[in-house]
Amino acid sequence: MPVATRSTLSQRTIALCLTLGLASAGAFAKAAHAGEFSADIVSRDAAGSAIGAAAKLYVSNHKVRIETPEAAAGFLLIDADAGTAHFVRPAQQVFMDAKQSSLLTQIFVPVDVNDPCRRWQAAAGNAGVPNAGGEWRCERIDDEFVGDRRAALYHVASAQGASRRWIDSDLEFPVKLLAADGTTIALENIRIEAQPAGLFDIPPGFRKLDPRALIERIKHSDAWVDP
Amino acid sequence: MRINGRNHLAWALSTTLSFSLAATVGIADDKSKDKDPADAVKTESPIKHVIILIGENRGTDHTFGVYKPRGKHEAISNLLAKGVVNEDGSPGPNFALAQQFSVTHQPLFYIGAPRNAKVAYDNRGQMPQPNTAGTPSAQSSSGPPFSPAALAGAAALDPNPDFNANTDTILTTGFSNLAANSLDTRIPNAGILPNGPFVLQGPNISDDDYTGDTTHRFFQAWQQSDCSVANATKANPSGCLNDLFPFVMATYNLDDSKVPAVQHNFSEGNSMGFYDAEQEEASLLKTLADRFSLSDNFHQSFQGGTGANHFMLGTGDAGFWSDGNGNPITPPANQIANPNPVAGTTNRYTADNNFSNCADFTQPGIAPIVSYLEALPYRPEPNCATAHYYMLDNTNPGFLPNGFRAPSPATQSMMPASPVRTIGDALNEKNVSWAYFGGAYNDAVALSNDAVTAGTAGLVNSSTALGEAALADPAHALGVAYCQICNPFQYATSIMGNPAQRAAHIKDTVDLLANIKSDTLPSVSFGKPDGLLDGHPQSSKIDLFEAYVQQVLDALEANPKLKAETAVFITWDEAGGYWDSGFIQPIDFFGDGPRVPLLTLSAYSTGGKVNHTYGDHVSLLKFIERNWKLKPLTDRSRDNLPNPKMRGDQPYVPANMPALSDLFDMFDFDHAVKQPFLQ
Repeated sequence: MPVATRSTLSQRTIALCLTLGLASAGAFAKAAHAGEFSADIVSRDAAGSAIGAAAKLYVSNHKVRIETPEAAAGFLLIDADAGTAHFVRPAQQVFMDAKQSSLLTQIFVPVDVNDPCRRWQAAAGNAGVPNAGGEWRCERIDDEFVGDRRAALYHVASAQGASRRWIDSDLEFPVKLLAADGTTIALENIRIEAQPAGLFDIPPGFRKLDPRALIERIKHSDAWVDP
Repeated sequence: MRINGRNHLAWALSTTLSFSLAATVGIADDKSKDKDPADAVKTESPIKHVIILIGENRGTDHTFGVYKPRGKHEAISNLLAKGVVNEDGSPGPNFALAQQFSVTHQPLFYIGAPRNAKVAYDNRGQMPQPNTAGTPSAQSSSGPPFSPAALAGAAALDPNPDFNANTDTILTTGFSNLAANSLDTRIPNAGILPNGPFVLQGPNISDDDYTGDTTHRFFQAWQQSDCSVANATKANPSGCLNDLFPFVMATYNLDDSKVPAVQHNFSEGNSMGFYDAEQEEASLLKTLADRFSLSDNFHQSFQGGTGANHFMLGTGDAGFWSDGNGNPITPPANQIANPNPVAGTTNRYTADNNFSNCADFTQPGIAPIVSYLEALPYRPEPNCATAHYYMLDNTNPGFLPNGFRAPSPATQSMMPASPVRTIGDALNEKNVSWAYFGGAYNDAVALSNDAVTAGTAGLVNSSTALGEAALADPAHALGVAYCQICNPFQYATSIMGNPAQRAAHIKDTVDLLANIKSDTLPSVSFGKPDGLLDGHPQSSKIDLFEAYVQQVLDALEANPKLKAETAVFITWDEAGGYWDSGFIQPIDFFGDGPRVPLLTLSAYSTGGKVNHTYGDHVSLLKFIERNWKLKPLTDRSRDNLPNPKMRGDQPYVPANMPALSDLFDMFDFDHAVKQPFLQ
């Protein structure tokens, strides 16, 4: 039996968050810059119970850092302007293309409140998601408050499935996702505060690990069996 | 000291390559100390925990061929002791004992070449020479060995002074700077090497270099051993001459019916390479042999390769093709082996496939082996059940690492779910804790989940499926380095097909280290590094396996109470196709094969002793069964064999063949000596 599947957006996302280390409760901080903040990423089931623990999110302008136990050995870096998403393993001083290693890199990217689909589709394309180049529809439904923050609510549909997503109007960043089965992923304890610049960069000297090179080397071992 | 120079890097490397993303799973707090549940289980000896660490593809002469025991009055059977080579690795006075032969065309597969068909290679390079095969030719910024430029930048960030561009780092070293499939000119005198073994040492080559692999498969290995009762002597009653190693490698996939001949394999003479432990090669392993105990009569249990040997380690038996419900059936034709030579070629195998029905004399390749067994004075049973097609060579298990069961094993070239009883089943029945710790297992589970979602898990071979998943999910790409065929329990329906069993017993290297730290180590543990650290030629290096071993020993060293009641066995799955000069005891159709080292580390096995009692992988099962009072696994498993009665005049040949040691005589349980693993 499969341990888990990635058949739906919500299932996959929940799986990402199952083993998260619980982040500390957020404290309000004075605004340092409109594009700089941090938050916890919390998944909840349809009944509102937290699924696993929270991930950590840091944002500075159009750069994002996500620390999730699914990638406990490292962290994810997104540069929305450059169209890149990397997974960094500090202990090993390597980084690699994130691709589809985490759905979070396809959701929590800076977006245009009036045209969010463009960035989400680009993120999916960057991740190599099948049919990412197909039709994406973002239909603005309403404006609502998520907690104490004003947000634009969208119905989002693509080949990956349908969901509702809330975009913070001031932060220009997704703050909540509601999947078809009622599960949610939301930012909590949002703290508007300056972020250290180095938080969003691949440390100098880190080398890029290419799975293709790794696989080619492994093909020379007995761990690989040709059919 | 070179070992220490590697320590820090070894840790970094093993972390890089083995640790999964769930790095903190299973670490308990200090309160759990002194509550070791294994202490409550009654054992035959003071040993409450066994850790079996299994490397890849190194033989006894290959690793310890030039080694002088440190224990008083200890002797060893190796190349140096026999005078085949000198202490510096050069040809010794009895070099001719190791000479290799070619064989003229024979109409059918054979394991004992006719004497009049054999021709010795001359000493002017006529023997097939060492070849780079698939050795990495250069450093890379994206795969091992990494470029120093990348590492130099990293070193600036690392406070560890050993980790810098000027250090001999095993992370970056070992590329050949030579073309693939070419003469390996790093080896001194390559191209004109005389007929016999050669040392993998020189200005351009050491144990820190990647080297070309050599094929290690079932029928090839039997043929290389060149066994015939007509060759039997008192010291070598099985009559295995071990003198066709390079020849078989050079011919089993050579199409010399064409002009010019087309070679499909480049193992060439690689099988004759060996390391010089007295010249600082394999120095960590040598240090352990100096301080603890080494067996020089321990063998791979199966002729050939990784999968079948690990299967034997877990079951004392061979796996077979079934309907998935325990009933033997005939596999697809493309799985059935036929080692008979293709017409017009010297020795090119007709179908180099993985399964044979060895109960049927008429099947290709069967009669020569069974006839030989029947001619031996002690007439060992082939142990081939009727209509069973046994797995002779590497075939992925019918389960993926996450427990997904392949729906179409025949089309996916995966062995159907196995009913063969494992040591895990026996331990479960006695409530003895156990686990298999596979390097990069957690990542492999993640990739398997990806493959299930993508639909490839049910369509293609599991190696292919995980490889494709790794491209889409690089954060878990190390999962391709998890060795599926090394885990005998991954074949078993009783373990892998049961989610609770799988969760309880199939784990990652990171869990082994955490369990040692937290005093939650199972009574019986199997440890297997991932494919980059396992020491396999061409894809890994012997010092990378040493790095893996050291991280486990370091963890154990930090828990003295646990260390005091733990025995660590370090061995290899097989000799990897490397030539060995040791006696081989034929036990059944499947083996034994050449010697592999066995190091036994415990407070009761110190002093640099060398044990000569005959054993193989199943001896490890026998140790477990005796220590935890278990019965043999089945009525046909090899653990039913008696302990050997060894004779003083023939110290390597059991008087009561077939027989296998339970390894208890490698210990002196009346005397415990506390000492560090390494100094």
